[in-house]
Amino acid sequence: MSRRVAIALLIVLAAAQPEPAFAYLKFGVSVSGRQVTLKWAQTPIRYVVTSVAVPGVSADDFQAAVGRAFATWHAVSTASISYQLAGVTNAVPGRDDGLSTLGFVNRPDLDRVLASTSFLVDMSTGALVESDIFFNSAFPWSVAPGGEANRFDLESIALHEIGHFNGLGHSALGETELRAGGGRTVLASQAIMFPIAFAPGSIAGRTLKADDIAGISDLYPAADFAPAAGTLSGRVTKNGAGLFGAHVVAFDPATGSMVASFTLNDNGQFSIGGLSPGPRVVRVEPLDDADIDSFFDATRQVDIDFRVSFVDRVVIVPRGGDSGEIAIAVVPK
Amino acid sequence: MRKRPLLLCALVGALASPAGATVIVPADLGELSRDAIAIARGRVAAVDARWTDDRGTIETIVTLEVERYLKGSFGPELRFRVPGGELGRFKSIVVGAPEFAVDQRVVVFLGARGPTVPFIVGFNQGVFRVVASDAGWVVTPPANLPSAAGVRVVRGDPARRPLPLADFEERVRTLAGGAR
Repeated sequence: MSRRVAIALLIVLAAAQPEPAFAYLKFGVSVSGRQVTLKWAQTPIRYVVTSVAVPGVSADDFQAAVGRAFATWHAVSTASISYQLAGVTNAVPGRDDGLSTLGFVNRPDLDRVLASTSFLVDMSTGALVESDIFFNSAFPWSVAPGGEANRFDLESIALHEIGHFNGLGHSALGETELRAGGGRTVLASQAIMFPIAFAPGSIAGRTLKADDIAGISDLYPAADFAPAAGTLSGRVTKNGAGLFGAHVVAFDPATGSMVASFTLNDNGQFSIGGLSPGPRVVRVEPLDDADIDSFFDATRQVDIDFRVSFVDRVVIVPRGGDSGEIAIAVVPK
Repeated sequence: MRKRPLLLCALVGALASPAGATVIVPADLGELSRDAIAIARGRVAAVDARWTDDRGTIETIVTLEVERYLKGSFGPELRFRVPGGELGRFKSIVVGAPEFAVDQRVVVFLGARGPTVPFIVGFNQGVFRVVASDAGWVVTPPANLPSAAGVRVVRGDPARRPLPLADFEERVRTLAGGAR
C-alpha cells in the first residue's frame, strides 16, 4: 500500500480542503465542496492485531481485550456494525499499509497520550482506506478483570479508541478538577468518547454511555432505529449573531442520561440525532475548559466567551422527527 | 448515572458521575512548563506535510518564526513535528493531534529526545493560540493554572477567560523555574 500511495501521490491532483473534525461525534471531510461523513462503507470491518506484548499484557491478553471492546460496540442494539479479526501481524500501527492494525508501540515522545487512532482517507472520494490504533507501551497497562492499581485498563482505552475507529469524534461530556498541589484529574464523564483519562486502576470505561450509543446508532443505524429516533436541532446566538463551537447538552429527565453536540457553523446551528423520543432539558455552555484541538481544527475560531444558558422550556423530541428549531441566545461573560 | 432531585441543578452541577477513561493524561500549565525543554511564542511560517523518515505514514513539519522564548531555545526559526497531514490525494488524520495554519500566532511547549525534530509536549495540551481581542493579545484556551487546593473547572465561569499575553508569559516563566 505504501508504494501504491506514493505513486498515487505523484500523479493525483490536489485534494479538496478538509473541513474541521465534526464532533459530536462524527468526522467529516470536504470532497469537491461536498461534505462526506467518515465511516466504513462495508461491514464486517476487518482488523489485525500485532503480537507485541508489554509487562502485564501478553499478546493473547491484548487480542482478547480489544476483542471485548469491539464486542461492546457490536452489541449496541440500535446500531448495525460488526468486526472481524483478520489475523495477527508483524505490521506496526500507524503505518499506511492498507491494514487496520491495533497494537502496542513505544512512543515516549507522545508523553501524555495513552493511545491514539489514525485514519488514512482518500480525499478524492472521502473513502476511509484504513484506521490504526496504537497503545503507548510507555505507560503501564492491565487486563485484570477488576482493574489494577497504577495501571491503565486496556479494555477501557480500547473502547474509546474503537469509537474513533468507527468514525466518532470526541465528546465534551465530562469535567475535570485541578488537584491540590498541581496536576489535573477527571471528576466525571458521561461519554466513553470524552478525551481525557481517568486515573489508572479504573475499569468504569468498559461501558458505553447514552452519548456513545446515540452516536454509533446515528452513524450506523439498525434497520428499525431511524424511524424510532428523533432529532433535536436549533441555533445558538450571541448579540444576534450565530456562534460556532458552543456545546449543546440534551438531558433526559426520565433516564438521567445526556447526549450532546456542538454548533457547527457560523450560523450557530446544531443538530443532535439518534435520540430516543421524549422530553429534554437543553443547556448550552462554552468549551472553555478544554483543549479545543481535541474537538475542532485550528482554522476555526471557537467562541468561548459566553455564560451557560438553558432553554427556558422542556423540549420534546418526537419519534422519527425533529424538535423544530430551538432558538438559544447566550450572553457574553 | 446518579439521579438528582432537581434537573436544572443536575445540569448546572454538570455531568457528574463516575465513568470512563480515555486517551489523554491531563496536565496543568505547571506540568507543561516543567516538562517542556523549550517554550516558544511565534508566528507559523510554514506547514509542510511529508512522509516520515521510514516512509510509513504522513507527518507535518511546522516552521515557527520565533518572537520570544519563554524557556530554552532552538534558535530564531524552529521546526517541530505533529502527526498526520495531507499529501496529494491522501490525508492522514490522527485524532486529537493539533493542527496549524500559516500566520497563526502560537505558544508551543516543546520536547525533544535525541537528535530529532522537536515535538509538542502533551499532544494538543501543549499548544496555545495568541489571538487579538478588544483587550489586546490574549492566549486561548484559558490555561489551567496549578492550584494550591482542589478546584473544579466549571464551564462558563466568568473567571475562565483567555489570559492577556503578558500575564500568560509571566506565569509560564515562573512555573518553568524562571528560565528565559
